Amino acid sequence: MARSKNDVWQGTLALMILKTLEALGPLHGYGIARRIEQTSGNRLAVNYGTIYPALIKLEQEGYIASEWGQSNNNRRAKYYKLTRAGTKQVQKEARDWEQATAIVARFLSPESGSSS
Amino acid sequence: MRSLRAFLLRIAGLFGGRRHDRELTEEFESHLELHIEDNLRDGMSPVEARRQAVLKFGGMEAAKASCRDRRGLPFLETLTQDIRFALRILRKNPGFVAIAVLTLALGIGASTAVFSLVNAVLLKPLPYPNSGQIVFPWRQAPPGLNLGYNDLPWGRIEFLFLSRESQTFEALGAFKSDSFNLTGSGDPARLDGLRASAGFFPALGVSPLLGRTFTADEDQPGHEHSVVLGYQLWRDRFGGDPAILGRSLELNGDAYTVLGVMPAGFVFPRAQEMPGSFTFAREVQLWIPLALSRGALIPAEPSELAVVGRLKAGIAVAQGQAEMDVLGQRLQAQFPQAKGWFTSRVTPMARQLAGETRRPLLLILGAVGIVLLIACSNVASLLLTRSLGRKREFTLRAALGADKRRLIRQLLTESLLLASFGGLLGTLLTAAAIHFMKILGPASIPRLSETTLDFRVLGFALGVSLFSGVCFGLAPAIAGTRENLIESLKEGGPRSGESQATTKLRNALLVSEVALAFVLVIAAGLLAQTFFHLLSVDPGFHPAHVLTFELSLPASKYTNQDQIVGLYQSALQKLRALPGVESAGITETVPMGGATESTALRIPAHPAADPNDRPYSNYTMASPGYFVAVGTPLLRGRDFLESDTADSMPVTIINSAMAKKYWPGEDPIGKQVGPLSRLYPVATVIGIVADTKRLSLREEPPPEMYVPYTQKVWPSLLTMDVVLRTKVDPVSAAAAARETIHSVDPDLPLANIATLETLVDGSMTQQRFAMFVLGAFGALALLLASIGMYGVISYSTMQRTQEIGIRMALGAQRRSVVAMVLGHGGRLASLGIAIGLIAALAMGHTMASFLYGVRPTDPLTLAAVSLLLLTVALVACYVPARRAMRTDPVIALRYE
Repeated sequence: MARSKNDVWQGTLALMILKTLEALGPLHGYGIARRIEQTSGNRLAVNYGTIYPALIKLEQEGYIASEWGQSNNNRRAKYYKLTRAGTKQVQKEARDWEQATAIVARFLSPESGSSS
Repeated sequence: MRSLRAFLLRIAGLFGGRRHDRELTEEFESHLELHIEDNLRDGMSPVEARRQAVLKFGGMEAAKASCRDRRGLPFLETLTQDIRFALRILRKNPGFVAIAVLTLALGIGASTAVFSLVNAVLLKPLPYPNSGQIVFPWRQAPPGLNLGYNDLPWGRIEFLFLSRESQTFEALGAFKSDSFNLTGSGDPARLDGLRASAGFFPALGVSPLLGRTFTADEDQPGHEHSVVLGYQLWRDRFGGDPAILGRSLELNGDAYTVLGVMPAGFVFPRAQEMPGSFTFAREVQLWIPLALSRGALIPAEPSELAVVGRLKAGIAVAQGQAEMDVLGQRLQAQFPQAKGWFTSRVTPMARQLAGETRRPLLLILGAVGIVLLIACSNVASLLLTRSLGRKREFTLRAALGADKRRLIRQLLTESLLLASFGGLLGTLLTAAAIHFMKILGPASIPRLSETTLDFRVLGFALGVSLFSGVCFGLAPAIAGTRENLIESLKEGGPRSGESQATTKLRNALLVSEVALAFVLVIAAGLLAQTFFHLLSVDPGFHPAHVLTFELSLPASKYTNQDQIVGLYQSALQKLRALPGVESAGITETVPMGGATESTALRIPAHPAADPNDRPYSNYTMASPGYFVAVGTPLLRGRDFLESDTADSMPVTIINSAMAKKYWPGEDPIGKQVGPLSRLYPVATVIGIVADTKRLSLREEPPPEMYVPYTQKVWPSLLTMDVVLRTKVDPVSAAAAARETIHSVDPDLPLANIATLETLVDGSMTQQRFAMFVLGAFGALALLLASIGMYGVISYSTMQRTQEIGIRMALGAQRRSVVAMVLGHGGRLASLGIAIGLIAALAMGHTMASFLYGVRPTDPLTLAAVSLLLLTVALVACYVPARRAMRTDPVIALRYE
């Protein structure tokens, strides 16, 4: 079970990264990780370092592209941005998630079935 | 698609590792700096800011490792790492590597060599196009009749019927051997030829190198004076002259036109590939049309045709068999008096050519498999010992977090590397072995010349290497990485500490080695005994000092019986007059020279009650003096005389088996017997000779009757074997014999000149080969097992050095130490021998068919081999025992 949970986590992390980049535009790894933590209402407390393997995978798949640049404080950092394929992917995945949660919601809503 | 892109990028990521690492470090550091900046802005102290940033990041090395795994293909990378590491380790232990690789090379090389033989004989596709469709329908004897052979020839009428009526065959050809005297171009030579019908070459499907083969028109009586030459004959006799086509050759006095030349290597059929009921030459040198007449059945026409057919594409062998069965029944309806004689067995070509060698080859394959297992056992034992020396290394690595599976994988990589080196060296050994096999191997192994290192054989070598690698590597790998953290890491812990399980494993390996070696040596011993029993069998004649050769009279020159008899008589007279010749005679076929005719019998005094169960016997001709020349004792009655001619009373001499079978309890002398056909007279029995072995020394001689060649017989007298008993070395008489024959007929060549001893020897080649091979493997197995024993005993003795020191310090005699060591070895060996005994008894019946004169469970052999193995084991323990004996207790007690 632990294994499949990890796979699910990898998938959602990828989606969260893409969504963050869609919303905020090009961003470095630290920024992305920070933003994800904030968006989740600080409910997701994962180590920032875990984001990097996911970034590499997304880059290999062609959804994001990286390039070295300068941060606001003139610090050198590696920036990631969405590619066109990435934009399409994030829209598609968002749709899939919405559909999935809608279906599950119907099962869990008080109208369906019995008890409690 | 995305994942494919990712995968390809990962492959690319295998390279440029260092650059990626640097970039990653840079990225991580920049990440930390950004975080620290934010922390500082939030009001933390610089130290606290950094600490929080680092904590929040998580394990940096772990993150780097994850990224590295994502970037490349971790499996491949660890594999390369493992291989590099393994090579380093192996380089540090050259002695161990040498022994292990050599042992493996012997095992792998031997098994691959045997497999290459099996491949050539049983597995490789035949050099005929679509050879799966080529079959041989052989006539079968009616059930209950024991002629000694299963596959029998067809008659002319039957073949014509089959080729006319069959639907499932694309081509059907009949063939029989014949010999031809080539005259008119150089020395007269006797050539082995084949008379083949027009369907013969299409059935085989081999195209001629030059020219063409015969058409149906040329396969008619009167038009058959064309010939197709074999490649070797074309090169040797005609210099490979391409203008040979259309030339006229004088064969048996007639002119034959050369139509074509067959490609090199085509010598079909070889005698060894054809059933024993036929007489074929070793190889065919030329092919002549069979030209069967299409006339009605002639009484007592002999059946002497072999048939080969090519099934139509898509037709299975079973269908061909079914059709043959149906056609057989139709023939039966046409010839009801020959009931039961029209059943057939359709044999696919591959099976036919492999002949009787399948089972002996599988026996040898089994034997070499045992050798391989013993070799692997030895190497496993070696590895066990070595892995113990590295126990500390492994436990340390495990304690530092190394995955146990990774460690095992690395150990397996070492084993596989060893196995690969062993396999490479072994393949070289195989190449050498193949070279020698082709030169020294018995000619009776079919397709021996086709044995090569083809891809199938190389694949086998690779597979065997991998298999052995895993076989001998797995157990030591698992045993070596078994954790016993506290014990192994302790400084004062036993340096050579090993668990009970490992000791048991090593002992078990040794015991199984001994058991395997036992079984193999038993098999070798039984085969050797069989061989010697066969040698001492009474063949029914005296092979020493006998020269034989074949004379083949051309039909065009010798047209009637009187001429033929006249030639032989004057030849025999002159041969007897030679100074070196003691006695001379002629016969149709010498013993060990081929098969004779056979016939149903007519015994007037005991007419056969059941026409399906007539008496049978071999039927052959002989001259006066033949039995004396060949050394077959006359048991009763008299030999043929010169006075037994066509005009005098028909007589016959029968062998002892025939006398016992058809006249049990009576005296056959004076009784009458003859061939079933009324064309041939019944003859009076005038003598009984001893049974002779004709085809092999193992056979039970069937009933046989001899008729004087001067009287009325049906086999052709044109080819006869001459037998000379010489006073001196038979070979030296050959030249004189040739001159004598030339003086009688200068155009008559001598063929198949051989001594009878050579022929007898030739019948034993397979037996001898199997005996040598199994003996060699048995010796190899013994050697490997004794090396294994030596290794195990010396290691265990070394382990008990402290114990020995204590014993000696407490007053034990040196002798008792020796006894202890020998006892240990002896116990292990005895256990192995006991297991081997049980195995040998259980598998006895599989060997039974190879043996003669000795049972597979022969107690003497079992006892002798047990003793041998025990002795070898004790000898192997000798050196460790001596070393133990000379232990200085003071040093031993300090030994850790």
